[in-house]
Amino acid sequence: MKKLLTLCLMAFTTSALADYIFVVPQKPGGGTSQWAQIVATQLEPFLGENITIKHIPGARDIPGFNKFHNSLRTSNKIIMVSNGGNGVSFLQEKVDYDYRDYDSIGLMNLNIIAAKRIGENMDYPKFSAGSGKVPEAWAMALLICGPGLTMNEYLACFKEHVTWVNGMSNSERRLAFKRGELNGTRENPAAYKKHVETDENAEIWFHHGILQADGSHADDPNHPGFQLEILFEERWDVEPSGEFYDAYKLVKSFRDGMQKALWVNKGNPNTFLLRNALHQMSLDPDAIAAIEKKVGKYEWKIGDEGNAQVDTLMSFITPKALINLIHFNKEALGLASVYKEKLIE
Amino acid sequence: MILALLLGTLYGLIIGLIPAAGATTGLIILFGLMSYFSDPYLGVIFCMAVVAASTTGDTYSGILLGIPGANSAAATMVDGHPLAQQGKATYALTAAITTSTVNGLLWGTLTFALLPWYTKLMMIFGIPEMWAFVMLALVCVGFVSNKFWIRSLIAIGIGLFLGMIGTNPVTNADRWTFGWEYLGAGIQIMPMVAGLFAFPEILDGLKKRDATTTKHNTSGQTLDGIKAVWKYKWDAIRGGAIGAFIGFLPGLGGAMGDWMAYGSTVAANPKEEFGKGNIRGVIGSEGANNSQKATSMIPTVLFGIPGASFAAVLLALFMTLGFELGTPDLAYDMRFFDSLTFGFMWATVLVGIICITFNRYISMISYVRYRYYFPALVVFITWACAQYTGGWEDYAILILCSVLGVFCKEYKYSRPALLMAFILAAKVEALTIQMTTLYTIETLMTRPIFIILIITIIALATLSIKKNKLEYA
Repeated sequence: MKKLLTLCLMAFTTSALADYIFVVPQKPGGGTSQWAQIVATQLEPFLGENITIKHIPGARDIPGFNKFHNSLRTSNKIIMVSNGGNGVSFLQEKVDYDYRDYDSIGLMNLNIIAAKRIGENMDYPKFSAGSGKVPEAWAMALLICGPGLTMNEYLACFKEHVTWVNGMSNSERRLAFKRGELNGTRENPAAYKKHVETDENAEIWFHHGILQADGSHADDPNHPGFQLEILFEERWDVEPSGEFYDAYKLVKSFRDGMQKALWVNKGNPNTFLLRNALHQMSLDPDAIAAIEKKVGKYEWKIGDEGNAQVDTLMSFITPKALINLIHFNKEALGLASVYKEKLIE
Repeated sequence: MILALLLGTLYGLIIGLIPAAGATTGLIILFGLMSYFSDPYLGVIFCMAVVAASTTGDTYSGILLGIPGANSAAATMVDGHPLAQQGKATYALTAAITTSTVNGLLWGTLTFALLPWYTKLMMIFGIPEMWAFVMLALVCVGFVSNKFWIRSLIAIGIGLFLGMIGTNPVTNADRWTFGWEYLGAGIQIMPMVAGLFAFPEILDGLKKRDATTTKHNTSGQTLDGIKAVWKYKWDAIRGGAIGAFIGFLPGLGGAMGDWMAYGSTVAANPKEEFGKGNIRGVIGSEGANNSQKATSMIPTVLFGIPGASFAAVLLALFMTLGFELGTPDLAYDMRFFDSLTFGFMWATVLVGIICITFNRYISMISYVRYRYYFPALVVFITWACAQYTGGWEDYAILILCSVLGVFCKEYKYSRPALLMAFILAAKVEALTIQMTTLYTIETLMTRPIFIILIITIIALATLSIKKNKLEYA
């Protein structure tokens, strides 16, 4: 009983004395929530102050980020934790938040890996749908249909070849893949290790590569030779290019290039302090090991590097790429995507 | 180790006693405390004890107050609460707890001892079979729980509509949210349970200005309850097996297992009257309670795929403790498996003993006038429902669901059917889309389990329409 009381007291005092707040747009237990919890725990000693997690859940993780944008960001102690899904929603949904209004404290540039069932004909993939899988849909269309097609030809080719299965949760998708009802799937690096590498009937199909400062994508050293661009060239004897490829680059970069990120309002006086603490944390092998255990071994972009990454991402947004993205998403994937003119401004 | 077990058991029992709360709520609250476990294995024991104890504890409010402790305990109260009204609360509680404990131990042993053997078995059940199971659950609760089957169908329709508010799985856009961003993630389960069951019962209790029962006769009820489990052991075993099977199928479980177990008890005893205090109804549904919690751990541990909503939270909690379920490394961590087994099994035993020992005292609440304890009840229920965002929206939804609950109770539209349809709405829609995308009639006809399930659904619906006399709403 004494221990219980102590635990309760500690929980209460931790909450009462909290100095910084991580706003997480999910319920406790979600992937970003877990990441935020781990980072907060590792960051606290370097920051010298407590961090508490405030969950603001809602559909597609949007309401929490909107709330940060509309009311919370003016507080100097509030830090937004976002994920790759927020990046995709930023491109194609009516959201209030806008990355151009924030300073990056740090972000993790991850890679998403697609897997297939061994021995399957991947010219006819059966793949779980959802807005989080939009980059995979574009990658599949490129890889299967080849170079030089018009937008409508890509659309027709995708519909002919890909069985796009709606309504699957992550767990249902994983199980359906294990059972062979789906022949393709995709995972983040940590989940890939857990769900694909342990499955004797599964192997890597392709990955999207890692976004570089100059806007190119490099091969993932964890899975060399399977970057989409490399596989495309091997199959079709030319590098991928053109309008369709530009739109693919746009959507994959906004998802994977900001898979996990920390933001504060522009001009927040604590920005330097937070960046410095995160930098110190990134030099600590134990702290980094704890984070890598969750997300895999990928680099942090801290402070100005994070802001530069946002600038790079924004440079991918061209009217044509955005129009093509929305058109394909609506016609081929059935998504209610909207064209946002203000992104071009 | 013992302290972690005791604390987890006590905490789980308290959470289980709070109407509309349950294992999922109890586990969500623990996130802030996980970092205080110096040994992560103690955290595992604590969490498993919470799961086992809260599952057993949630029977109380169902039987004593007519309010399900969690959505999974709704079936128990159909016959359990009338027994409490007849002054047989201790009898009903003891039978329920004994059944729940025995099945928890039996299926817990089978689950944890044979864990690695289940992988291949799980691969047999694909999307069509899952779809058919969901339909079977709807038929069970819709047609078995209420003889007014047309009203049940309407209730199912309302439940499906409410459950589909949120995000359209195809377009990924908000659906039927009336521009209210809060509804984008759908109506949460806790206010729906509380609104449908808790507040109508509280209002009813206040209107009657009386206690649940005035019949003071508790002598011998504890022993009678245990004897009843032995007498109706096949109902208990059947319920346990159904619950275990549903728990084993990822993403189902919870309310579905209990209602299917209850439905099978009613179907297996066509000459008996249910819904007015038949102990077999209590034993049948409670059989599924702990067994499904035990077997939900199979997909959760083996694949890192949560078997039920509580298991999804558990998965995340274990992650914060440093255990990533579904990874091969963990398969060799015998201390982890020992901690899982120790926490679940001993908490099941412990809470069983505590409950059976104190049942006659706890059940005295049914002799207390409602007005003395309803404020505390309202506070606890409201607290549980405000765990989502804590904003005014949580309270607004609770009020709306309560109005719906009062209406359904008054006009005998099956609340269990509405709740079940609400819970399963997303599954119904998603599995229907998946099945029609990936299968054709020809390929479905090659799946024997699917065909058997469809035949069972048709037979059960037909029989229930013809013979059901239950009036619970």
